[in-house]
Amino acid sequence: MKFDILIAGVGGQGVVLASRLLATAAMDAGFHVATAETIGMAQREGSVTSHVRIGDDVCGSLIPQGKADLLIGLEPAEAARNLIFLGKDGNMVVNEYAIMPSTQGCGEYNPEKILEFLKDSCPGTITADFTKLAKDAGTYKAANVAMIAAAAGAGLLPFSQEYLWGVLEKMIPEKYRDVNRRVFDMAIESVSGKTGKETAKDQ
Amino acid sequence: MTSKRILMGNEAIAFGAIKAGVQIASGYPGTPSSEVMETIISHAKEYGIYAEWATNEKVALETAVGAAYSGANAIVTMKQVGLNVASDPLMSLSYLGVKGSLVILVSDDPGPHSSQTEQDTRAFGHFSNIPVFDPSTPQEAYDMTKLAFELSHAMETPVILRTTTRVSHGCADVLIEEINPVSRDIEGFTKDTRWTIFPKLITQRHPLLEELQIRMSDNFSEYFNHNSFNSVSKGSSNIGIAASGVSSLYAREAIKDCQGIFSLFKAGTAYPFPEKAAYEFMKDITDLIVVEELDPYMEEQFLQIAGKYHLDINIHGKKSGSFPVSGEYDVDVAIEGINHALDKIGSESCCLSHSGAAVKAEDIPPLPIRAPTLCAGCMHRTVFYAFKKAAAKLRSQTGIDSVFSGDIGCYTLGNARPLNMVNTCLCMGAGISIAAGLSHTQEFSSGQEAKQVAFIGDSTFFHSGIAAVVSAVYNSADITIAVLDNHTTAMTGHQPHPGIGVTAMGSPAQIIDIAEVLKSCGVRMVKTIEADDLDKCIDIAGEAMQFEGPSAVVFKGRCVAICKGTGQYIVDEDKCIGCNLCINQFGCPAIFSMSSGLPVIQDTCSGCGLCAQICPSDAIVPKEVSQ
Ligand code: SF4
Ligand code: SF4
Repeated sequence: MKFDILIAGVGGQGVVLASRLLATAAMDAGFHVATAETIGMAQREGSVTSHVRIGDDVCGSLIPQGKADLLIGLEPAEAARNLIFLGKDGNMVVNEYAIMPSTQGCGEYNPEKILEFLKDSCPGTITADFTKLAKDAGTYKAANVAMIAAAAGAGLLPFSQEYLWGVLEKMIPEKYRDVNRRVFDMAIESVSGKTGKETAKDQ
Repeated sequence: MTSKRILMGNEAIAFGAIKAGVQIASGYPGTPSSEVMETIISHAKEYGIYAEWATNEKVALETAVGAAYSGANAIVTMKQVGLNVASDPLMSLSYLGVKGSLVILVSDDPGPHSSQTEQDTRAFGHFSNIPVFDPSTPQEAYDMTKLAFELSHAMETPVILRTTTRVSHGCADVLIEEINPVSRDIEGFTKDTRWTIFPKLITQRHPLLEELQIRMSDNFSEYFNHNSFNSVSKGSSNIGIAASGVSSLYAREAIKDCQGIFSLFKAGTAYPFPEKAAYEFMKDITDLIVVEELDPYMEEQFLQIAGKYHLDINIHGKKSGSFPVSGEYDVDVAIEGINHALDKIGSESCCLSHSGAAVKAEDIPPLPIRAPTLCAGCMHRTVFYAFKKAAAKLRSQTGIDSVFSGDIGCYTLGNARPLNMVNTCLCMGAGISIAAGLSHTQEFSSGQEAKQVAFIGDSTFFHSGIAAVVSAVYNSADITIAVLDNHTTAMTGHQPHPGIGVTAMGSPAQIIDIAEVLKSCGVRMVKTIEADDLDKCIDIAGEAMQFEGPSAVVFKGRCVAICKGTGQYIVDEDKCIGCNLCINQFGCPAIFSMSSGLPVIQDTCSGCGLCAQICPSDAIVPKEVSQ
């Protein structure tokens, strides 16, 4: 078994936590895991990625181009930036919530167009405003948790959502647990009926 | 009893050190090395370890050396450029050796992601005659750390454990043993001429040191028989592939469809190079492909061996043009390089292929550039902007220009548009000295007269700023020093330092007051100000710049990444005149302009109020007020 997940976002969105949660859940489910994370300079509002490689064997932590089975984009442009890593049969979950770069003159960035491009490139892409979902549940910062929960809910992870919640319960401090549970449930609810590429193929 | 845990490579190293019985740990933070010390610190009380952050890497190494002289198990941690700072004690230390054990953790940063250089610590091992271990995974990092302590003790030499970003900052499932508390019994320091370096002693020790290198090289060749860090396997062709560190995993994945064709050589002991084992490997092949990040270190070792033993072998690597000479590697780079070499060899055996991606790079539409920038509400932005304004005023009043020398830390990001407030940046602590150097050239220069300003962070000030201040005062350099004091070492993960009154272990400590240090160094104008009132900051910046001789201002504030702001601001659309000053002047990432042309403030606003202070129509107001 080999399953590669790439998480892309902007510094401050919790990409590192998302990859730790996935890695720990994968280990609990009995697999080897290797992750590569962006820590340091780029965390200050720059483009960041985490690679999570799950499988039966130990391997290097960077996913080769065209090998990712799942791309989780916490921000539309960041998902697009990393599309070369997604395999032909890979799936994608993308946050519709765009983060505008501050000083660049924003005429250049049209998130709707990018989202359209993503959906065209990868039929079956699941998109939603996960930041809004998290905000409605209590904190916009939990968009990362919402997105991995959505991936689990849509059956796009190589382990069940129970493993994921089990890890969240262990790793999230108690005072944030309730709000994360709400985010988790709402995210799973939001993707009910969606299953990534299979659905697209069926249609 | 063993257990499996998800650990970051740096955490695995810390647990390896604790398991090996480390008693003393010192270091200076630096990406990607910091979490080793942080993990040791968080377990220090539990296992009876003394752990500290030192003011810089030289001090950290010397502290660990003292501990090791008395028989303790010591570790010192730093990033690759930190080893440059520590290189003075390092170069001498190899002659004297140690008594207990001393492991020097140094993290390299191919890319680089978060560093000034792409230097290769394996070469430093060679230069200083200190053995270097090069793990490829967090599991190896854990196991090698334990071995490094053993080797250090057995051979009475310091051992360098060298990681790269992907080992240090990657997580994996790691099998670790149960850890028992460290017993604190050490022999203590015994007086011996061995510990006092002196020319005569060095003439005695040098031949022994060289002899030790040969013994260790033989020892590491032996590892191929029983230790998984060093391994060889035979393939069906005459082509071999050699790799070191994390590149060995990239190489393995690159050739996984051609398994069994290539002979493989992996050495976790980078220096002294296992020459005997390498010779045995090379003798049976005609071509050798070397996959390694940073320097062509192994490639040169193989070339040397080929020359020494007159082997008929072609070596393909960076020097032969098959692999990129710089930058970080991955599986795709390994595939390209190996294919390039195979093409030269004229091998029919196989050609490796990349996986097809869902989308080609050229089909991706243009995307916004997202360069790193200071956090929304970072105090540094206020200070940079204040100096920008003060400099403009100085220029318009006197015609004198200003040059801004930066330093290493979050505030290096003052270079970003639209601030553009870092004109020079070289290494830790260099801002003040470079400003001094620039000031001394004024009298010879036919160019425009310029005021020299140096920015330095609080932790960097203690690291290597003080000696530069003393020199600037002593030599009457006409410079202004702006200390950006946010009460933490922010860029590397918010470690404490001598200015804040707490030790690494959380005990109270003597506060070393930066303004007092500056005064006692003889800086005649020293001012301290909170960096929240922009106008006051502009005034004081102007005053300091107009002062003749060395002047300094300590700007105080808090890092918003750890101290949450007090509230948020919002744009009152009825009042906003659409001038976009708040967007164009200083680049706070919380503000962007809507397609309507009006600015919008996002959730990431931390309420510093800087934008409100420059808005000409008072349209930016605290959120509560507007609601
Ligand atoms: S108050 Fe203004 S400048 Fe400060 S963080 Fe908020 S938006 Fe940025
Ligand atoms: S982490 Fe702190 S010091 Fe660094 S940019 Fe953010 S607010 Fe400024």
